[in-house]
Amino acid sequence: MLSRVTYRTSRSTAKGLLGFAALSVVASVIFITAPSTTSTAAEIKRGGTLVFARPDEPLTFDPFTPSDNGSIYAIEQVCDSLIEADESGIGLRPGLAESWNISSDGLEYTFKLRDAKFSNGKPVTMDDVIFSLQTAAGPTAAYAFGFEPVKSFEAVDAHHLRVTLKQRYTPLLAALSLFSAAIVERSSFEADRKQFGSSPLCAGPFMVKEFSRGSKVVLVRNPYYWDVGADGKPLPYLDRVEMLYVPESNARNLGLRNGDYDVIATVAFNQARSIKGSSDLTLEVAPVFRLDYVYLNHAKKPLDNKKIRLALNYAANREAIFKAVYFGFGEIPNSYMPKVNYHSDDVKRIPYDIEKAKRLVAEAGYDGTPIELMVDTGNASFRQIATILQQGWTQAGLNVNIVEFDVGTAFGMTEKGEYQAYVSYITSDINDTDELAVIQADFNSGSESFYSRYNNPEVSKLLAEARAASDSSERAALYAKVQDIVYHDGYSVPLNFVPAINAYHNYVKGWRQLANGWWWIENVWLDK
Amino acid sequence: MIFIDYLLRRLIQMVPVVIGVSLVAFIAIHVVPGDPIEIMMHGRAKPDVVAAARAELGLDRPLPLQYLRFIGGALIGDLGVSIIQNAPVADIIGERLGPSVFLLTYSTVLAVIVAVPLSLIAALYRGRLVDHVIRFAGMSGFAMPPFWVGLLLMLLFGLYLNWFSISGYGKTFPDHLRHLFLPSVTISLSLAPMLVQSLRAAMLEVLSADYIEVARSKGLTPRRILIKHVLRNALIPVITILAVNIGWLLSGAVIVEYLFAFPGLGSLLVRAVGFRDYPVIQGLALVFACLVMVVNLLADIGYMLVDRRVLKE
Repeated sequence: MLSRVTYRTSRSTAKGLLGFAALSVVASVIFITAPSTTSTAAEIKRGGTLVFARPDEPLTFDPFTPSDNGSIYAIEQVCDSLIEADESGIGLRPGLAESWNISSDGLEYTFKLRDAKFSNGKPVTMDDVIFSLQTAAGPTAAYAFGFEPVKSFEAVDAHHLRVTLKQRYTPLLAALSLFSAAIVERSSFEADRKQFGSSPLCAGPFMVKEFSRGSKVVLVRNPYYWDVGADGKPLPYLDRVEMLYVPESNARNLGLRNGDYDVIATVAFNQARSIKGSSDLTLEVAPVFRLDYVYLNHAKKPLDNKKIRLALNYAANREAIFKAVYFGFGEIPNSYMPKVNYHSDDVKRIPYDIEKAKRLVAEAGYDGTPIELMVDTGNASFRQIATILQQGWTQAGLNVNIVEFDVGTAFGMTEKGEYQAYVSYITSDINDTDELAVIQADFNSGSESFYSRYNNPEVSKLLAEARAASDSSERAALYAKVQDIVYHDGYSVPLNFVPAINAYHNYVKGWRQLANGWWWIENVWLDK
Repeated sequence: MIFIDYLLRRLIQMVPVVIGVSLVAFIAIHVVPGDPIEIMMHGRAKPDVVAAARAELGLDRPLPLQYLRFIGGALIGDLGVSIIQNAPVADIIGERLGPSVFLLTYSTVLAVIVAVPLSLIAALYRGRLVDHVIRFAGMSGFAMPPFWVGLLLMLLFGLYLNWFSISGYGKTFPDHLRHLFLPSVTISLSLAPMLVQSLRAAMLEVLSADYIEVARSKGLTPRRILIKHVLRNALIPVITILAVNIGWLLSGAVIVEYLFAFPGLGSLLVRAVGFRDYPVIQGLALVFACLVMVVNLLADIGYMLVDRRVLKE
């Protein structure tokens, strides 16, 4: 049974309805009544403060405004939605809705609300739920597109919510588990929305005690939280969490080592080994849905020629990049998109072969048009990657210049098509290949194949079939075929399936990086 | 009265300068490509949602009107609302102004405490070994990149010795002193050598002046000469250097701020520019312009106190 969880990352893509319309997901109900924890009841020690250093900080706790990972990951700890991602990040579990059922025509979903309270003790009412969902689906909300097929949200009675759809839409459950579908306390939100962004009133495991922008967020446990731990008592186990904003990776590393921090997120690749060597620290290398790759603009010469694009792939020294930039972390990819559920390991990798690259360049009749390889300023690893690629590509006979722009400008230029090659990455928000496969490879999906201008009608047809197919193995076969075609069309130059690397002291228990990007701090306890 | 007059004149002179600076900053940031809403949404939102968000924020109005709206608000203390953080700009800047000024003051004090005695010794023992050592040490300190120095200090004092905190700001005054010690030392390692250099040069000039001969012949002790005459006159170029550098340090300490996770104005400006957060950038341009002018004013007052001749002008 595959269910989906949806959330937004800082490299999220243009999502049309298509991204969600995977009708193959079996629209059955999943009840997970066991508490969400991996520790046994006997050993858990409650209380204490967790000090957690992150490279980004929340900009706001308002769940409905456009946001970034800094905000999203923090909002997830403070606000609960009707449905929540499970412990692995791959499935779903009940949140503020304790159960739901779906009508046989798939157009009506009825949710039963559990008895839950906001962090000030006020009960979560149907009025708060409907208000929150309507705001989430409203015209200025960032993720409103996830609710486009919804006709209405209405109360059947004080404990039952009915969602009526305009058409069948299995991703509804995933849409309701988004941080942006969080349930907020209506009166405080309406009274002063800006204030709400700094001091939210929600029903999640923690609440915001202090929010010093540029410095830290202090969370304390929500005494009214509904979920229970392995020991039968309410979650979270911790009393307090200090989420510090420490943008410099060396500073996070040193802070972890000298005991200032208990956990740090995003350890730089070149610092990971030193943490591995330490006996009181644990290095966590967890797969996430991310692929680093070089975007190619198929509408600009000389990249409009498939042979040139393939030459770029044959001349890309991925092994060297893997060692020098990623320090051996990750996996050399055989796909144009991250490793999500329908990834195929059978697609053959393009090897590093300079001679073949030279032949391809010659066969393509390369006229010397220079290729500008764009990199974000300040990103040292991508700069290194660009240098290594430039070397290989020059050897193959191509004319390559590296240009740098600040990330806002660079991405803006990419969107407008004013680029040739751009070293960047993409992440998937949900554990379903459909979302990115369509966005990246279907020219008509709204972003012109995610700004690559790749147009292959056969691929578009296969993707439409895969979306409509109900059999899992049938979908797998179709997506594998798409992966093969798109990868070998030289869609891009994929570089690495990048993992998330975090580090923590050995006394931190229950910590886990989820595949969709964040962590559930409610499951963490300190063994000290 | 003359003094109050002077002060008022200077404050009035500030106005056109501050307006000029804010105008240039406004034009510059709007000319640069990149739109804050599109950056925030990362190519995810449809054009009509982007347009709606822009309209809500007033970003679609003509530029001169936007500027006037900003200046009008600024006059009554309303610097607008940050696009990215959805909080009043005045609050955001206010939160960071204190720490930045503290860091600045701390670094300057440390630099001066170190520079004055060293430059004195270097001047008095000019040409001897100690003079060369001091100047060489100064040059080396100045040449070392602050990023690298900061990291080394963090490693040594933060990790191995664990004497000082390596990040943040702290809550109480003694806390601040502890948290900001390493960042301040990092900054003063670039500031002090400049001070030593110019203080030493100024002192040498003064030491060889006629009035020193006169003072000595009058029977003043060398110590009195030093303090009353040499130091005082040498302070003038020092005040100039300090004024220029403090103005720069307000935002120039950004590298140190990133390294030590310090919530200062420099990192705020850099992030605001990256996100094209126009209200914050404009607010900061205004604040920086005012602060620099205030620092220059203080420097001028400093000259007056140190050298009575200036007052007579």
